[in-house]
Amino acid sequence: MRCPSTSTGSLPGRSPADRPAAIARRFAGIGALLAALALAGAAGAAGPKLLPAEQAFRLSARALDATALEIRFDIADGYYLYRDKLKFAVEPAAAGAGVPVLPPGKVIEDEFFGRVATYRGPVVIRLPLAAGQPGGSVSLKVDSQGCADAGVCYPPHHQRLVLPLPAAGAAPSAPVDASPSKKSYFN
Amino acid sequence: MTVNQSRWLMVAAAVAALAAGAWVARTMLFAPSAAGQSAAALIGVTLPDADGKDQPLAQWSGKVLVVNFWATWCAPCREEMPMFVRLQRERGPDGLQFVGIAVDQADKVRQFAGEIGLNYPALIGGYGAMELSKSLGNSLMALPFTVIVDRSGRVAHTQLGPLKEEQLSAIVRQLI
Repeated sequence: MRCPSTSTGSLPGRSPADRPAAIARRFAGIGALLAALALAGAAGAAGPKLLPAEQAFRLSARALDATALEIRFDIADGYYLYRDKLKFAVEPAAAGAGVPVLPPGKVIEDEFFGRVATYRGPVVIRLPLAAGQPGGSVSLKVDSQGCADAGVCYPPHHQRLVLPLPAAGAAPSAPVDASPSKKSYFN
Repeated sequence: MTVNQSRWLMVAAAVAALAAGAWVARTMLFAPSAAGQSAAALIGVTLPDADGKDQPLAQWSGKVLVVNFWATWCAPCREEMPMFVRLQRERGPDGLQFVGIAVDQADKVRQFAGEIGLNYPALIGGYGAMELSKSLGNSLMALPFTVIVDRSGRVAHTQLGPLKEEQLSAIVRQLI
């Protein structure tokens, strides 16, 4: 193919009108190469893809009224919590938190610990308050520990939520999320 | 839009692509990827064993070291340990050394160690051990987490979750 020469003396086969396209290709190519190298070289630990604990075991809670808190775990597919590792505490102590009502869960046979109850999916726990102040608020502390079917266990997890108590006769307060999801483009 | 304008728009888009690529490179290349890096942070550690005696990890320099972070409260951790015991027995004479770091209480570790006939050191680490595993790439601080160190003290492999015997044997064969 005979390339026409140009009056500006630029490289054969490349007219001035093509310069932007060539530059664009070069920049995009370098960018793509950098990204590919980075992705290839940045492999972290080998192993399963796992959610952070706050997402695998989403915690939220609300006060139904001044006498009862409702605590909810939304456990992602492929993850489970241990029933006997769930602990709750309410401050101030004057609110008079009672014994939490824990659903039975599913009992599995653990080689070391014997029969162990676990939770999957949504779990709702009711926690009575003997002396909650209507219109006030309490601080709920939650301890939990769970594992993934992929074969890992998370360390014990401690979370704290501040819950408003509805005024007398008012509707239950809106649920408070322990970890509100943040918008991210790279998840 | 003229032909020239659309072409310069392409350049602008391509520059943006370059910038994005560079950003990905910067954040991911400098994110901790333990493989290939020095295991000095790990080898320099001293932890008590289940009998309370201090054990510096440096005493095992020169061995092919398999450092396994585990706990008795972690069922998947317990399940893979009999396989580690067998490999320790078979390849220990060739220079393979397992070291367990339990994020756990000494009495529970002693009990479990007795039950499976543990033939390698079980060190007791607290929250600091979790932080150490995090610096080696265990961003979720989950267990089990295993770091394999070659004879010259470099990290050869890290694994979150259980190790399959075939994979572990293959890595060990290469390093020994």
